[in-house]
Amino acid sequence: MNLKETVNGTTLGDRLLFILLLLVSFTGIIFIKDVLPQSRDVTIEAEGKLTHRYPLDTDRRVEVGSPRGRFTVEIKDRKVRVTEASCPNKLCELQGWISRGVIICLPAGITVTVGGTEEQKDRKVDAITG
Amino acid sequence: MQLQDKRRIAMLSAYALALHGFESLIPMPIPWIRVGLANIITVAAFILFGFRAAMMVTLVRVFIASLFTGSFLGPGFILSLGGGVSGILAMGAVLYILPGLFGPVGLSLIGALFHNLAQLFLAYLLFIQKIEPVLIITPVLILIGTVTGLLSGLVAELLVKGLKKSEVTIQNTPQ
Repeated sequence: MNLKETVNGTTLGDRLLFILLLLVSFTGIIFIKDVLPQSRDVTIEAEGKLTHRYPLDTDRRVEVGSPRGRFTVEIKDRKVRVTEASCPNKLCELQGWISRGVIICLPAGITVTVGGTEEQKDRKVDAITG
Repeated sequence: MQLQDKRRIAMLSAYALALHGFESLIPMPIPWIRVGLANIITVAAFILFGFRAAMMVTLVRVFIASLFTGSFLGPGFILSLGGGVSGILAMGAVLYILPGLFGPVGLSLIGALFHNLAQLFLAYLLFIQKIEPVLIITPVLILIGTVTGLLSGLVAELLVKGLKKSEVTIQNTPQ
């Protein structure tokens, strides 16, 4: 009784099942991240107050504004950019498309944040100076 | 239940418990991943003595092991019980619907697969309650379960063959 004999003793069903399970698990490991919907949101805050919240999955254009300025936020292909800013140097427009992080428009006092819902909850202030 | 059956179940449960205890000594990179050595005994019990014996052995192992380690009625116990019972039910169903298609290795793989799936489902239902992390870990667990299931299935096959051979030898020995 040795290992070879034991392996030869397995049925065809055993072997097929083993190969099938290996295939399924490898495919799963490779592809599951693409299949999963990632619940990321775009949040827009004007002067520290939350004004808009949109899912990153849906393409759209939104006009946002505060008393000090306004611009258009464009969501497309899970990315966000700012266009048509009313500010003079248009730094927010120059930042281009982002899929994570923040676009800040200082003149208008508006921030556009891309992040998961969890990240939003955990966000805390590290320190305040001044 | 015959006295003979009770003795067999007691013996097999003792072996399963010993393997279960031994297994906890093996260092693992992630704490809740187990080799599933006790699965060897479950599969052997299934093939030698049938569904009821295998179920009894598993129940005895899960309950007594949890009493030993102090995890009785804790989260680990619930997962262990759910996984163990589902594994046996799946093996029973497969053997009932498709008899002869699978040997010990196939049964062991089925048991490992349904053990993992049931545990993931229970963990999702009771403890995690978020589907994404469960789905991400599922294929990894299936892969690990397939590899360990293959190994314990091969050992179970060796065990079953050895036991059958020794039974023949005992029967043929002149009194």
